[in-house]
Amino acid sequence: MNALTVLYDPTCGLCRRAHEWLAQQPKLVEMQFVPCKSDEARKRYPELNHDLTQMDLTVIGDAGAVYFGPKAWLMVLWALSRYRDWAYRLATPELLPTTKRVVSAISQNRYQISRVPGLAR
Amino acid sequence: MSNEITTEIAGGTSITFYTYLIYLAISIALTIWVARTLHKNGRVFLVDVFHGNEALADSVNHLLVVGFYLINFGYVSLALKLGYEVVSAQQSVEALSVKVGLVLLVLGGMHFFNLLIFSRMRRRSTRVAGPPPVPPDQFTAVAQEG
Repeated sequence: MNALTVLYDPTCGLCRRAHEWLAQQPKLVEMQFVPCKSDEARKRYPELNHDLTQMDLTVIGDAGAVYFGPKAWLMVLWALSRYRDWAYRLATPELLPTTKRVVSAISQNRYQISRVPGLAR
Repeated sequence: MSNEITTEIAGGTSITFYTYLIYLAISIALTIWVARTLHKNGRVFLVDVFHGNEALADSVNHLLVVGFYLINFGYVSLALKLGYEVVSAQQSVEALSVKVGLVLLVLGGMHFFNLLIFSRMRRRSTRVAGPPPVPPDQFTAVAQEG
């Protein structure tokens, strides 16, 4: 896998902030950011259920492998050279359930979290 | 300092001088032995790290061994001076045991440092080629760009 497309929610401040942070990180895998449900996203992935992509972060590999939610977060970490070890660590059978719970909790409350001053723009 | 030299010139070579010679012989032999071990056994490791690129592996291996020699010989050379006159065989052995012991510790430290470098390189090389941490949820068609 040489490239990842990240479908993010442009209406959420936390996601925009995360996008800015990601853009600056050194990467092992190329990353492209496309707002979810945008024309660009629909054009690239004509067969994808785009309503699902708004529920949670979605990452798509260059060969069409789709990762939703916590898996998408792990893929993003995996693509960063500083955090690849963390992706493997968090994906171990011991930690994966906790990872999924924490990520889902953050994801579902992202609009509330975005209102916390200083966290989002 | 000038005093020692004059005694040596006047009374032939002293025990201190022989102690130095033995120290140098043992230290140099030990350094060469460890460096050769490192060179011989590190190669397999480096070839794996560089994905079978033997020329690159040999080059890095050689550079590491050169650094190893420089640091060890540098230490051996700096630690040579005893600072007192050895007058008996017993004193000579005692002085040698301290000096050679220190050289061994430095060699051991350097050796583990080299192993650390090898394992770091190896980990990095396997990490960069690592597969995704999780399997995908589904597959979708990707439209051709352009």
